[in-house]
Amino acid sequence: MEEFFQQLTNGLTVGGIYALIALGYTMVYGVLKLINFAHGDLFTIGAYLGLTLLVSLGLMDHLGPIAGVLVLALLVMGLLALVGALLERAAYRPLRESPRLSAVVSALGASIFLQNTLMLIYGARFQVYPQDILPETALNLFGVDIPVIRMLILFASLILMAALYLFIQKTRIGTAIRAAAIDQNAARLMGIDVNRVILIVFLVGPALGGVAGLMVGLLYGQINFTMGWVYGLKAFTAAILGGIGNIPGAMVGGLLLGIIESLGAAYISIAWKDAIAFFILILILIVRPTGLLGERVAEKI
Amino acid sequence: MKKILLFVTALCLVAAQATASEPIRIGLMAPITGPWASEGQEMKQVLDLIAGDVNAKGGILGRQVEVITEDDGGDPRTAALAAQKLITRGVIAVIGTYGSSVTEATQRIYNESRVIHVANGSTAVRLTEKGLKYFFRTCPRDDEQGRVAAQTIRRMKHRRVAILHDNTTYARGLAEEARSLLRKAAVPVVFYDALTPGERDYTAIITKMKGAGPDVIFFTGYYPEAGLLLRQKKERKWNVPVLGGDATNNPDIIKIAGKEAAKGFMFLSAPLPKDLSSKQAKSFLSSFSRTYGRQPNSIYSILAGDGFRVVIEAVRATGGTDPDAMAGFLHSRKFRDRNGLTGVISFNGKGDREGEVYRGYKVDAQGRFILQK
Repeated sequence: MEEFFQQLTNGLTVGGIYALIALGYTMVYGVLKLINFAHGDLFTIGAYLGLTLLVSLGLMDHLGPIAGVLVLALLVMGLLALVGALLERAAYRPLRESPRLSAVVSALGASIFLQNTLMLIYGARFQVYPQDILPETALNLFGVDIPVIRMLILFASLILMAALYLFIQKTRIGTAIRAAAIDQNAARLMGIDVNRVILIVFLVGPALGGVAGLMVGLLYGQINFTMGWVYGLKAFTAAILGGIGNIPGAMVGGLLLGIIESLGAAYISIAWKDAIAFFILILILIVRPTGLLGERVAEKI
Repeated sequence: MKKILLFVTALCLVAAQATASEPIRIGLMAPITGPWASEGQEMKQVLDLIAGDVNAKGGILGRQVEVITEDDGGDPRTAALAAQKLITRGVIAVIGTYGSSVTEATQRIYNESRVIHVANGSTAVRLTEKGLKYFFRTCPRDDEQGRVAAQTIRRMKHRRVAILHDNTTYARGLAEEARSLLRKAAVPVVFYDALTPGERDYTAIITKMKGAGPDVIFFTGYYPEAGLLLRQKKERKWNVPVLGGDATNNPDIIKIAGKEAAKGFMFLSAPLPKDLSSKQAKSFLSSFSRTYGRQPNSIYSILAGDGFRVVIEAVRATGGTDPDAMAGFLHSRKFRDRNGLTGVISFNGKGDREGEVYRGYKVDAQGRFILQK
């Protein structure tokens, strides 16, 4: 039983990170019906920028670990929002009226461009976050050892997700985003500036992806320029699992995928854990083709 | 017509003149770019250094030696093109390369063109199981490493072993070899599985392994994953010793794991350059640091140097560049226990290097790799 809870917490941490990245995929898909393949690389940029700022600014020395990490996270989010907006301007806006496939190709191109830019700037070797930034203590809950940093990361991702949920549901901008997701033309007729909505989506999604990158750096230490691929793929899977285009779906999908992976590894086979996760994805899609929380939107006529 | 004949005759004479003083060309196929670029660039430095040395002493058979480098990019397809380019440049032998799959893509190309091929970092067993006449390697084989690993584990008196690989050909082969040898020796393997390389979170695996209660973990994969395993193992306050295969031999493992988590980690590897003890090796290392201002990092570049020296010796001993004579000489009893940079060198009938090459290493508190006696 102890091992079960240990595996559950292992899975929740991984799942929290998947969920944060999945939100970026699902938001863009919801509004633009575009899969932003460069999103995984925005996540990687977050990890690298976090490292650069951490080493060069010395925030921890001035502000202490907790405040330092908070400021660092805000800086990374701000910068990534900027990168996201630039990406939208450069790679997607010019193709707004083109067939959807052109935008997908543009997304793939942007992904390759960003990945290689990172390699040219930082080199192909693994980069490592300095150690001992956050306390290494572990809490013992009911016989399960949970490192504090893992709990912090899980809580931080839950808080960010909750904030995003409130933003989408309770604010005017959030309502505009939801409206544009349902029908862009109708939203435009209602006086919503759809281009601005899209811009906001590209500010928020990359910011969340970037902060996930920072978390991975802080938690695991080791980052490299290709890591966005694996995380991007997993997060994309999570978004589909929860129902792509649906924000609570991405959160549920991410956490669920993390848990399925760690329990699959624990009780079936480690080598087969990805296969198990994808098998469950297929099962869910057979029963619910729109994902767990995805709703069938009426066809536009 | 006469003029043309005269011209052709003159041209032939010039050409004949040229062959007499033409240098002996030896190819280097190495990953100058790509993920293993640091390995390949050092291989080139080592060969350039030795060739310069040979030429300064008058060359071989009165001819100069020229190293021709082609980049394989660490990629089998690029390597096949590199091999063809080297052959058209008239090399008599090729040194290289690092990755087994890359070497494999070029083996037959060299063999069909009757070019001596000495690999320096390709340890996959099957490379020498094809009966290729002109293929040799100065590095050991993976099954040899499996044997040394099983021996080390038994010597450390461990009774419950966990084996973890990463499903790559190399890591899996090593894991299987070690498992079957341990079974024969009646040492129980309580855990055997594979992780997915390239991920960050291996805590699910660590928790599961811990449940099996091993008293040693043998990880046969590469250093990025090994570093993460050590780090996350420490995070879980689990103090089981870990033994790694030679793919964990990279200073970056200390960076990734952190000194504290890496302390006590053991791995098997061909000796590091700093631990080479022969007279040849010492003088080579000092001339390397004189020329390049640092010590070589990788044993594989030194093994490339050994391959190069072996080829030079074959040319000298056979008095020419005939590939059959050279291959025959290297396979024969006439070439036995020659002093190389990495110890004595002789080849068996398959072209594999004979003798024990692997050593045990342990990481100390400062993150240094210390040779174990």
